[in-house]
Amino acid sequence: MTSQVQALRAADGATLDLASVAATLADQFTVVTRPSQLIRRVRLDTFDRRLHAAELTLEHQVAGSQERLVLDGPACSSTVTVPATEPRWPVLAAGLPDGPIRTALAPVIGIRALLVVSDEKRRVRRLELHNEDDKTVARVQLDEPATATAAPPQLTVLALRGYEDLAGRALRLLTRAGLRQVDHREAHAADVQPTAGIVATSPAIELLAAQLGEFLAAMRDNLPGLLDDVDTEFLHDFRVAVRRTRSTLKLGRLALPEVMHRRWEPAFKWLGDLTTPVRDLDIYELDLPVMTTWLVAAEATDLDELAQHLRRRRSSARRAMVQGLRSARFRRLMAGWHDTLTRLAEGSQDLTGEQLSAGVLAQRSIRRAYRRVARDGAAISPESPAEHLHELRKRCKELRYALEVFAPVIENGPRKRAVADLKSLQDVLGRFQDCEVQRLALRDFAEEMMADGTPASAVLAMGELIGHLDVEQDRARERFDGAFAGFTRPSGRQRMQRLGGGR
Amino acid sequence: MKVLATYNIKGGVGKTSTAVNLAYLAAREGRRTLLWDLDPQAAATFLFRVRPRVKGGGRALVNRRRPIEAALKATDFENLALLPADFSYRNMDLELDDTKKRTRRLGQLLDSVSGEYDIVFLDCPPSVSLVSENVVAASDILLVPLIPATLSMRAFEQLTRFVSEVEGRRPEVVAFFSMADRRKRMHRDVIEAMRSNGSCVADTIVPALSVIEQMAQHRAPVPAFAPTSRAARCYEQLWAEVRPT
Repeated sequence: MTSQVQALRAADGATLDLASVAATLADQFTVVTRPSQLIRRVRLDTFDRRLHAAELTLEHQVAGSQERLVLDGPACSSTVTVPATEPRWPVLAAGLPDGPIRTALAPVIGIRALLVVSDEKRRVRRLELHNEDDKTVARVQLDEPATATAAPPQLTVLALRGYEDLAGRALRLLTRAGLRQVDHREAHAADVQPTAGIVATSPAIELLAAQLGEFLAAMRDNLPGLLDDVDTEFLHDFRVAVRRTRSTLKLGRLALPEVMHRRWEPAFKWLGDLTTPVRDLDIYELDLPVMTTWLVAAEATDLDELAQHLRRRRSSARRAMVQGLRSARFRRLMAGWHDTLTRLAEGSQDLTGEQLSAGVLAQRSIRRAYRRVARDGAAISPESPAEHLHELRKRCKELRYALEVFAPVIENGPRKRAVADLKSLQDVLGRFQDCEVQRLALRDFAEEMMADGTPASAVLAMGELIGHLDVEQDRARERFDGAFAGFTRPSGRQRMQRLGGGR
Repeated sequence: MKVLATYNIKGGVGKTSTAVNLAYLAAREGRRTLLWDLDPQAAATFLFRVRPRVKGGGRALVNRRRPIEAALKATDFENLALLPADFSYRNMDLELDDTKKRTRRLGQLLDSVSGEYDIVFLDCPPSVSLVSENVVAASDILLVPLIPATLSMRAFEQLTRFVSEVEGRRPEVVAFFSMADRRKRMHRDVIEAMRSNGSCVADTIVPALSVIEQMAQHRAPVPAFAPTSRAARCYEQLWAEVRPT
């Protein structure tokens, strides 16, 4: 079982020569040179780079007729390798070969699919470092590109468990011989934020254009995965970008020209509505495994009919959504919006509204959004219908987006704490509304399924789910008063005042 | 994590060869595998070219003064680690006797690496002792190599009686014929008799083959240095039969 100690490169662009590396190491080890191998390395990660964030690397390696999956990283303390036969990418955790790699990755990648991040042919040559018992105590691997476009050659010292000190010794010999240690930060230079350089005194238009451009980029990035139905999160993230765009247009009304409101708000409402039915059905499908645990009298298999019904409904809803996303209307929307944002960023005269600074717009927007939450929340009574709580949830989302969109120009500490306060309230309102929507939808599904001749056992099981949702919704309603009082407590109000909201 | 012990009251029946070869095969198919060489003779440790030394000896492990993770050694094979033997293991009975829950301690020690390994092989010394009781209590499968001879049959009866007397969870006992020589009439008769009396005996028979003896020369598992040999095929077949799901 190996773990990477350190990657090395030749200093000043010199060539890495394995023979001289072997000669350097021969001072202290018996060095055995293994035959070189041509390896195709297919690096995998989720679209949002969850493996990278967890400091894990997953590769599908193909050498001759042998294929294997190799997982490496500190979390697994050593390299884990499993044979793999023609895996197809992208794949969800459930599609990975049963075994340690799936066990290790499933909690990390969750519902996201593994996609190909890079695909390179490399020539790998290995040295084994042996002790006096002819036992391998460390390995050194030279990984060279087989094509001109691939990443540069790299030498890696690999430690074996129980012999880490000897890998350290090998590393010291090589660095003393002039090899340079690769700093991992070199490969992952920090991304430059599009809002970098924008401060409270900057024109509000500048901030709005940068944020809206980011959301457009997120929509574009997620579109291929959404069209290919790679995993449910492409649609989710696409919708988040659409929602943020809509909210930013609304929050920026004071600074943006009227045309933005008149033309683009309805355009993005159409886009949001186009994607809503599939997302709703995705949520049911994702929640179904948890829902089966709620059953008391019914069997988990009684929900199989519901699962099939959801799949049929989703497949039909997806056809309609994909048709919309491949339509001329959608293409015009994306191209027109890109053009508008370019002109906005360039300060085009016809796209200039009231001249406001980003800081002033942030204060006004946050104040307005906070007041609406405080006012609507205070009006909620035990008799308030579910729609009132739903409306309050929308107001909370607006405040949340305001805190996010204007993040570059407001104080970060109070902002983070305000978001945390708001999140507790949003969680309660979200649970309340989810229960409401799911309860009503289950009734509709049951009626449709009964019309199709579904067995009574399935409908009875769905009845149990509705009962459970009813209880959950009551619980969420009971928690609302406490959550709202927590959100409007004096310390929270003071924080909001610092950010521009509250009185 | 599944624990599989190669165990027999008798010595020289192929316990270590079986543990080493099956552990190699488990690792080859991607299972994170650990082999704990519990025999102070340290034959498995020798076969993997690891030095038979554990810092603080068996006492430090049993008393938890030193975590077993600190004593683990990578072998030359992917996914396969070794917890080496140490000559002090000859006193392991005494060390175990001084602990609370003295028949469960080895299992408790293995719990600490349960997240790191999918399968653990225990290569046991030939005896009936407190170490054996611990092995029985910690194992899911007790794999018993049997030379098809009368004394082996007797030893197997003693072993099954010993296991049946263990309190609490008991492992599945799976015997298989090892070092069998079909040219010998007695071997053929004993194999026939065992199979007909309903004992849980694997179909695979591992013959007495010189390539298995050569493991000590090559200091490697048979499928690693003679992958197409008959012995390698026998161990693959045996692994397919006993492999935990």
